[in-house]
Amino acid sequence: MQLLATLGRRLLVVLPILFVVSALLFTALRVLPVDPAAMSMPPTATRDEIEAARRAMGLDQPLPQQYAIWLGHVVHGDFGRSIHLRRDVVELVRQTLPATIELALCAMLVAAVLGLAGGLLLFALRDNPAEPVAETGTTLMMSVPEFLWALLFIFVFGVALQAMPFTGRLDPGMIRPDITGFLLLDALLAGRLDILRSAAAHMVLPAFALGIAFAPPIMRVLRSSLLDVYHEDYIHQARLRGLSETRILLRHALKNAILPTLTLMGVQFGFLFGGSLLVEVIYSYPGLGNLMVDAVRNADLPIIQAVGLTYCVVVLVINSVVDGLYLTLNPRLRAR
Amino acid sequence: MAGISRRMLLQATAGAGLGSLAAPRIAHAAGDSATIGWPSDVPAWDPNQRFVPDAQSLYKMVFDQPLNQDPKLTLVGALVKKWEMAPDARSLNLEFRDDVMFSNGDKFTSSDFSWTFFDRIKAGHKVDIAQSMRKVIGIDTPTPTTAVMRFDSPAPTTPVWLAFLGSFVVPRAYMEKVGLEGFNAKPVGTGPYTLAEYQMNARIVLERNETYWGPKPALKRITVEVIKDPSARVAAIQSGQVDITINVPVREVLRLKQAPGLVGELNPITRVILLQVRNDEGFADPNVRLAAHHAIDKKALSQAFYGGAAVPLTVPATPGSPGYLDDYTFAYDPELAKQLLAKSGFSPEKPKKIRMASTNGQFPNDFDMARAIVAMWKKVGIEAELEVIEYAKYFELNRGNKLPEATLYSFDNATGDPEIYAGYLLNPKLPFSPWKDMVFGQKIIDMFNVADEKERIAGWRKLNQEAAELGATMPLLQSVQTLVRKQNLEYQRFGNGWVLGQTMRWSG
Repeated sequence: MQLLATLGRRLLVVLPILFVVSALLFTALRVLPVDPAAMSMPPTATRDEIEAARRAMGLDQPLPQQYAIWLGHVVHGDFGRSIHLRRDVVELVRQTLPATIELALCAMLVAAVLGLAGGLLLFALRDNPAEPVAETGTTLMMSVPEFLWALLFIFVFGVALQAMPFTGRLDPGMIRPDITGFLLLDALLAGRLDILRSAAAHMVLPAFALGIAFAPPIMRVLRSSLLDVYHEDYIHQARLRGLSETRILLRHALKNAILPTLTLMGVQFGFLFGGSLLVEVIYSYPGLGNLMVDAVRNADLPIIQAVGLTYCVVVLVINSVVDGLYLTLNPRLRAR
Repeated sequence: MAGISRRMLLQATAGAGLGSLAAPRIAHAAGDSATIGWPSDVPAWDPNQRFVPDAQSLYKMVFDQPLNQDPKLTLVGALVKKWEMAPDARSLNLEFRDDVMFSNGDKFTSSDFSWTFFDRIKAGHKVDIAQSMRKVIGIDTPTPTTAVMRFDSPAPTTPVWLAFLGSFVVPRAYMEKVGLEGFNAKPVGTGPYTLAEYQMNARIVLERNETYWGPKPALKRITVEVIKDPSARVAAIQSGQVDITINVPVREVLRLKQAPGLVGELNPITRVILLQVRNDEGFADPNVRLAAHHAIDKKALSQAFYGGAAVPLTVPATPGSPGYLDDYTFAYDPELAKQLLAKSGFSPEKPKKIRMASTNGQFPNDFDMARAIVAMWKKVGIEAELEVIEYAKYFELNRGNKLPEATLYSFDNATGDPEIYAGYLLNPKLPFSPWKDMVFGQKIIDMFNVADEKERIAGWRKLNQEAAELGATMPLLQSVQTLVRKQNLEYQRFGNGWVLGQTMRWSG
């Protein structure tokens, strides 16, 4: 009950944050030197026709009034129509969001597995001559931006080894089952192992490209937390009880050391979700990032606004979920 | 079972799983299908909706245009068998084929033509062809195979527009039945292929239309992989994940053409690269404008950025198009440029200061080309401050009269018609032109109403030369389309860069 109350309180904070973000987003986009009215017309349109389009789009109104009108529509779930694609923006976001969430979750899984395994390895190598080498390795992983990882992976696994596909989400000729929009899940639900295999193969490179740079911070935080935990009395007592080092690490130390790591992963997921833009473009991955890049290129303000807010909502929801997990795993916080 | 431990079982399972994922999927069937790596998606499957040059090839596989262009860009019949423009260019008689079916089984008639180019616009559909058909005041359909387009003023380029951007025929009955959303979800055309699968920003799968009225495509299936990143397109053709791709960097074409089994092409197309210039501020003085033009070594630009394949231009038209002047030259002459500048009191020591804008990444090597021009200008006494603008910003800046003296610009005109080059690039009333002087501008505007074809072409040719001599335009290069394909995949090359699945076939 206390957990739910805490979560409820945190979710309440989301509303004013969303309001502020929406206002900032709206204002920033309106002061940019692009002309959505002109972008909505073909290049052959005359100045008068563009002016007429501007009036029809309400762009001749004062900014606060434009915002009020837009917000009024948004609270009713109406983000308007795309200027360039002339389609319902909510529908476009609905079609592309699951792909990006799926990619971000897979990338998070990659980051978590590499991060946790690497953190344990770093911890095991403490005071070892190999430690500086491992540290350098993590620095390198962190220094390379995700788009460069993406290109490197394409070159190595796509071109040189020709081992992995790197465009789209499925092999040509496969028709995806459209149940939830989450392709891996849909393939399972439809019992199509061929589609599952193809979708998983297409996911490997983008997920690694996106996730790999997020692993080193997890490694370092885990290693640092483990070092702290190993100074606690219960670790000494466990040794006195004759428990093996592996058992002490996995059963006692890791359980406590993982909490700060979990918080970090929650924060990272937001960055990771936002970082999908270039990776999606490079891998022709049809997600929200790809949609956003096109929208920016075409000054498609309704899409930019909707996608921007969607990113915000997803990050806030993930943070709330992580908070909830943190409360669940850490009884001391629940007692406060 | 005693010999199999849990660890072994897990290891075997994991190994098999990874192995199956890593198995190469590059197994394209050469024979009846091909995969195209394309740099952009369609904005929607309603082909009348937006003017997007890169989408025309995609639309042409699913839809037909009333008129078509042959590889040399001559207008030829398609759904229209015969066409005849009235001497005053105020009406156009059309006669249609009577053997055309839409892919849903409906027969194509003049009613569909009228719906596409007039009725749906009047019904309030927001389609870009409302712009190209703005002079149309009615379409009469006396029989199912004839139509008469009527215009409010001379519209001599209407036949050209019927083969240009967005002019694809859509079915009246089907569109009225399913609505726009329904049509976008399941488009129906009369083209050589039908849409079998579509995933926005990822993939288009087309199946051969077995009831197509024209020559049957050799390939049964065309898959279009939408690959926006040029490096990824290079990787895709190199790894065999696609069979043909376009718009890859020039240096990659030169590299890949050495690779076994691949062919690299630099094909000149109807796209022009030019400097759009103002007639005021730092360019108010014609000496400065002409000096700026004389100072540009276009051959060197072509060699440096297009491997010499891009043809230097003197007028805003491409070689072979009606507005091009074979016998007119505008010399690269830095000494003359210096003399012109000296007349106005400028020199390399006392340079004329101007601003210049360029996109970065809108077309291959745009920003590098702009930097090279700035360097050429500096040698003769023009100091240009270079700024990067987004393509989307061009029209906004021009509308606010805020473009700098010169802007590097790329303009696509698949038809090659001179009106759609100079008529748009230099018309002060249209958003392309930063040139606002109405003395020359009015001549451009007046040309739109010339009905006689010979007089029209001659007029545009004269204005093209006048524009260059006035310094109202600085055409640089005929752009090239970069293309890499598998050696045994043949396709028909078009002068405007169309890459059409219906012209592809495997050889050998």
